[in-house]
Amino acid sequence: MIELKGLTKKFGDFTAVDQLSLTIGTGEFFGLLGPNGAGKTTTISMMSTVLLPTKGEILIDGVKLDRHATEQKRKLSVITQEYSMRQDMNMEEVMEYQGRLYRMPKKSIREKTDELLEFAGLSDYRRRTVRHLSGGMKRKLMICRALMIEPEILLLDEPTAGMDALSRRQMWNLLRRVNAGRNMTIVLTTHYIEEAQALCGRVALINRGQLQKLDSPETLIRELGPYAVDETAEDDLVSHYFRQRDEAIEYLSRTGESAALRATTLEDVFVVCAGRKLEGR
Amino acid sequence: MGIVTVIWEKWVEFRRDFYKITLAAMISPLMYLVIFGMGIQTTSHGEPYLHFLIPGIVAMATMTGSFSAIAQNMSVQRLYEKALDQIMVSPTPLWQFILGQILGGSLRGLYAGGVILLLTWPVRGDLVFNGLSVLIMLLNGMVFSTIALVLSFLAKSYADAPRYTSFIITPMSFLCNTFFSTEQMPAGFRQAVGILPLSQTSAMIRAIANGQPPGWIGFSVLAAYLAVFGLISMVFIYRKKNL
Repeated sequence: MIELKGLTKKFGDFTAVDQLSLTIGTGEFFGLLGPNGAGKTTTISMMSTVLLPTKGEILIDGVKLDRHATEQKRKLSVITQEYSMRQDMNMEEVMEYQGRLYRMPKKSIREKTDELLEFAGLSDYRRRTVRHLSGGMKRKLMICRALMIEPEILLLDEPTAGMDALSRRQMWNLLRRVNAGRNMTIVLTTHYIEEAQALCGRVALINRGQLQKLDSPETLIRELGPYAVDETAEDDLVSHYFRQRDEAIEYLSRTGESAALRATTLEDVFVVCAGRKLEGR
Repeated sequence: MGIVTVIWEKWVEFRRDFYKITLAAMISPLMYLVIFGMGIQTTSHGEPYLHFLIPGIVAMATMTGSFSAIAQNMSVQRLYEKALDQIMVSPTPLWQFILGQILGGSLRGLYAGGVILLLTWPVRGDLVFNGLSVLIMLLNGMVFSTIALVLSFLAKSYADAPRYTSFIITPMSFLCNTFFSTEQMPAGFRQAVGILPLSQTSAMIRAIANGQPPGWIGFSVLAAYLAVFGLISMVFIYRKKNL
């Protein structure tokens, strides 16, 4: 279980994360959503100890996480938004380095490297240096590296950024499998809201470093209204949300041809939540 | 052990860039030897100037070898590749990572010094280089690896590493008992330069080369630098909030 208690991070006068408190259960697939600059990456960076909080703390299974916490860190693996790898190493070396950092036996390092590179379709490129890989291949390699150590907790910061649609779907399937099969706790930040809706059991919407909403995608959609009517007014697309289908149809009948009925998505919740906050600035 | 992992990483880097590293270690010291030692034929205390110069160049080569191996590499890993994040999140104790960097950098410095010893072998005459010289070269490499670590943690951009070389390493290369004795400097400046680690290393290696004992003050000064900068690098990696 991961507990964030009053987590705050300031860079000078700017508060990137503000009193963030939430609990993520073991085996949960948890999404951290928010607009650009909301504090998602800063939160993940604190959860991986790359950044230290200005205030507050992070507990993993009840033990405080800091840079000394070797046993807690052994449970963690992270895929950062940027390609955080030695660019001059080849794929095999990247994997071996990771295995060595986690004190894996040499035989396991070899076996896991073969298994994961094969799985990710990277076996043919295992001697290619990172700087000569495409963005998608680098991303896959980072995922292989993170899974190498079979972590209990996987932190993913925009893991499918730069991937094509097919690769992204493959990634989703892989993440679902490791989450369910190994009871791995996964914390995901993403700009692709449909990704969070497809994968996450619960999501936290954060904006300006503060927690706005926290619940399952279905509950958040139900709260907003599961039926949406999109209406074009003066070149702007305006969405209206309804709890009852009849209400939505009635509204639709009163509007012109420029309106359409559809199911509300998590993206609507996100837009409404972020939009309100922006209006309030 | 995290230390072995870091040294393995340095070995991978060394193996891949062997020719570049070796050439880089050779070029500047060779130029100095050719220009100051052989081109301008002079004597010092009745001895060929080359005999004064070689121990200083060996000390300088260990300094630049160690410093550049760490300063450049760590700055790139931290600021550009973000590869340091992988270390921070791993269960490898960070003190082992630091120690691995210091030892790995020191070995690179020793290699650079060793290359110079090999190249100057035909013109060394009676100069003595023994196990104690190697120990001093290692210690000197450790000191400059540690200084490089601290500076790379302070670096705010990729351009900072070359700047550190310009501001710290280049002046030391010329002033610290390498090309001429610090005894010829004015009082005050002489003492200030004399306390710098390269001055002490040059003096100790030169003393051994001339068949004299190196004296323990130099060891103490190098150990003090190592302790202070080692401590600062530990504080940075464990406590710096925005690494």
